[in-house]
Amino acid sequence: MIRKTLLLMILGVSSLIFSLGAWAAPSVIKIGTLYAGSGNFSQASTRQYAGLQFWADQVNAKGGVYVKAYGKRIPVKLIAYNDQSSTTLAASLYNRLITQDRVHILIADYGSVLTSVAIPLAREHRILLFDETGTSGKFFRPADKNRYIVLTGLPTSSEWPKVLANFMRKLGIQRVAILYAANDWSGSQANTLKSTLKKLGADVVFFESVPDSTSSYSTILHRIAEAKPEAVAEFGYSNNDVAFLQDYASSGLYFPMLFVPNPALHFEVVRKAVGNAAMRYVYSYVAPPLIRYNREVTHGPTLDAFEAAYTKSGGRNIDLSTVAGYNTGLIVQHALAKAAKYTQESMRTAIDAFSGKIFTLDGLFKVNHEGAQIGESLPVGQILPTPSGLKLQAVFPVESAAAKYVYPQPRKP
Amino acid sequence: MSLFEYAVLAGLFYGLYFALVGVGLNLIFGVMRIINLAHGDFLMLGAYGAFYIYHLLGWNPLWAIPIELVVFLGLGLPLYYLLVPRLQKSGDPEMLSFILFFGLSQVIEALAVFAFGNDQRSIPTSVFGGAPIHIAGQIYPSSWVVSAAVALIGIVLIYLYLYHTRAGRATRAIMTERSEAVVTGISVHRVSAVAFGIGIASAALAGIFSPFMFGAIEPSMGLGITVTSFVIIVIGSLGNPLGTVLGGILYGEALMLMQTFLTSWSEMFPYVLLILILLVKPSGLLGKAVRSA
Amino acid sequence: MPKTWRSTAVIVAITLLTFVFVPYIYNNQFLLFNMMMYMALALGLNIIYGYTGYLPFGYVGFFGAGAYGGALAITFLHWSPYLAVIVGGGAAVLVGMILIPLFRLSGAYFSIANLAAAEALYYIVANPHLESITQGPYGISLPQVYDPNGAYWTMLFILLFALVLSGFIRGSRFGLALAAIRENPLSASMSGVNVVKLRSISWLLSALVAGLAGATFGWYISVFYPETVFGLGIGVFTIVFVLFGGIGTVLGPIVGTLILYGAYNYIGISTPQYFQLVYGLIIVLLVLFLPNGLVSLAKRRGIDVP
Repeated sequence: MIRKTLLLMILGVSSLIFSLGAWAAPSVIKIGTLYAGSGNFSQASTRQYAGLQFWADQVNAKGGVYVKAYGKRIPVKLIAYNDQSSTTLAASLYNRLITQDRVHILIADYGSVLTSVAIPLAREHRILLFDETGTSGKFFRPADKNRYIVLTGLPTSSEWPKVLANFMRKLGIQRVAILYAANDWSGSQANTLKSTLKKLGADVVFFESVPDSTSSYSTILHRIAEAKPEAVAEFGYSNNDVAFLQDYASSGLYFPMLFVPNPALHFEVVRKAVGNAAMRYVYSYVAPPLIRYNREVTHGPTLDAFEAAYTKSGGRNIDLSTVAGYNTGLIVQHALAKAAKYTQESMRTAIDAFSGKIFTLDGLFKVNHEGAQIGESLPVGQILPTPSGLKLQAVFPVESAAAKYVYPQPRKP
Repeated sequence: MSLFEYAVLAGLFYGLYFALVGVGLNLIFGVMRIINLAHGDFLMLGAYGAFYIYHLLGWNPLWAIPIELVVFLGLGLPLYYLLVPRLQKSGDPEMLSFILFFGLSQVIEALAVFAFGNDQRSIPTSVFGGAPIHIAGQIYPSSWVVSAAVALIGIVLIYLYLYHTRAGRATRAIMTERSEAVVTGISVHRVSAVAFGIGIASAALAGIFSPFMFGAIEPSMGLGITVTSFVIIVIGSLGNPLGTVLGGILYGEALMLMQTFLTSWSEMFPYVLLILILLVKPSGLLGKAVRSA
Repeated sequence: MPKTWRSTAVIVAITLLTFVFVPYIYNNQFLLFNMMMYMALALGLNIIYGYTGYLPFGYVGFFGAGAYGGALAITFLHWSPYLAVIVGGGAAVLVGMILIPLFRLSGAYFSIANLAAAEALYYIVANPHLESITQGPYGISLPQVYDPNGAYWTMLFILLFALVLSGFIRGSRFGLALAAIRENPLSASMSGVNVVKLRSISWLLSALVAGLAGATFGWYISVFYPETVFGLGIGVFTIVFVLFGGIGTVLGPIVGTLILYGAYNYIGISTPQYFQLVYGLIIVLLVLFLPNGLVSLAKRRGIDVP
């Protein structure tokens, strides 16, 4: 009798534990994110969100993401709010995602400004922030000892222009003019380019900032011309770049080399805005999808396969933001597939473990202890005429070069 | 020295254009005492009009001028009757208009995002003939010269309307003394509605050239332009279209000279200039002296 | 005790209880924080606009000055955030003092000049040449003092302070004098009211409230860029809330903020894709059908709104 009771009790308890285990596996994985449906950041943010949405649809079509902690696939549910490019609103919506929707995965909005407010919140609530494109160096300072952030896309912005500086020196350029819009992203690139060029022995003959909202560059271009630079680098958001290129094209001035960052991020948008003539021979960075990672890819689809599937599903043409959004999905997916436990800390440990070992359509995924991306450096590219129209092609360093650069750029007829 | 001369002439072109940007706001404020926070959004709509006329129809954006003048005048009249009479029945129409047009600006921007998308758009400057124009030994973008010329024509037309037509005289009468104008038998609503239409149409006209003057256009561009417009019309005096021309040119000169000599402070300076001017002349450069308490 | 003071005490008590207990059932603390912040800003704006008739379009300038004043005290002086909030209030008062000459201007000229001042301040703070002081465009980061609960209670305190201040002004001789100035500055000064002094005091009090709120906001979010705290949107929202609620009262700004900011957040959650459109339409319709603010609704029924 006692033995039977004992047996029943053991059975009962074990079934209870078993059912608790099954109960503990969530029916969906809630992924929270924000997008800017309007305002300054909406152009890139909506594309990034579309990339992430596409990823979510894809995994759900297969029954969900594989979660190692439960040994099975679980569907994902994307919870997304519109922050209208406002940081105040974004902070309150991030807070809602964490405290009310209780999302398990938190993904930041586009860019450093809209990412910034999520960082202290994520840290406070001990939830890992998947930072897609917030590349400000100050998010990843070792002194802050913050483990609750991972940059999934490009390296921090101050790393970007290092290859460019080397390229300028290789061309024998001695006099460089640098103009930048007063924001975190542009300023940190400008400062790195300046210091690297000085280290390499070049002269920075013009170094000025303009306010963010600057929309007319004609006068400034004439001032730059007075400094007689061989190369001009302008750093700004895409509205700054577009105005700069427009004004350069109509100024009648000539510089042997012209560099702007945004064609690398949204080539088609910039090209459509300023027209082919103003784009020809301009230099920029090169990033996916303009670098096409196919052979190297170890995780997820190749870039070609992604583009084909995305456009087939009715998506717009892809650019870096689309790829960044989709790539974040892939990193989340991999973190869930590798984390031993269904906790934020376990995911972070898993990410450290696979850092440097996986290659996606966005390139090598490698983060340092602070979560900053260090896997990629950005090659320099030039917008060159090809039989199929203008293309931004990598020209430096030599191992990534897809075309031969044209320097000095031809004068406009 | 040549940089200085370049900046002065560039400031003139840029300023004339901005006079056109501001003049409609001034007209609406002067006649109706309405703070049209959606002014920049009407300009944005005008910009997209030019963009589609160029990209879909392949026409020169100058064709947008007659088309948009008709469309926006036609839009302004019913919009006036829909919003303004109701507004003026309230206790403090001037301040209430602030909220009403803030709401309207939100609606326009939201609809623009649905209709045009979020991408930045522009029209290549080469549509006005690629070659820059030589003036006084300096080289200027042809688009700037064209924009300034159209702006000048637009302002002269508004001036002629206000000072040399019957309706214009009635408009000015309402501007100076609304209650007296009513007594003398002026049909306030009809005159105001036309002024409202002209105000909006002039914003749209300025919008046609904004792809060249601002580089790129996007649905969220409105608020910044509204703020700049307020600065310009206040420098020159509210309710005075000639003052707006002066305000615009001062704004252009201040911006271009600062861009040349103290680049990083360029956007700040016009605001400081505004404060300095108002401290000396409390109702703007062409304003009548008012008692200060 | 005058009637206004009694009703102010009731409003203070209800506000206090609400923001002490709502966090237990509604855990988006930052939304509640923002709600208190906009209420405090609305009350602060009301002190100058509601009682004197001067509408500062650039009210957000004081908010930004407060946020930066507080952040600098934390960064350079290593002061406790509570002290830093007071420094932020002081920074805003300082800016307010510099702007006192603007009272020579009237109506829209004053409003636009104030807007220009706020924009100028923004461009100064964001200028890379001042990086060693303000961090320029690179923004402020204060992880060392991050304490959302501390900031929450501080903001509640600021809100109550703004309420008591508004109640006091409304019920006192000071308030009566201000009302006289609003109606007719000339005759007020003839009857012995020191117009310049009283107006300056209410201006600085108004700046103080915004500065305190700005510093606390900066402390709460702890990472911010110049455009975060100088964004024109904050000022426009505040003005809209005050005008909607009804100016010159204690309750108006509170209720206006509660309804409009509440609706704003509700729409943001329920229909994110039509967020801006729906919110804009609601505002347009409210103005057209309720042109004199919420308070008018009560006044029409003969209820005196505190």
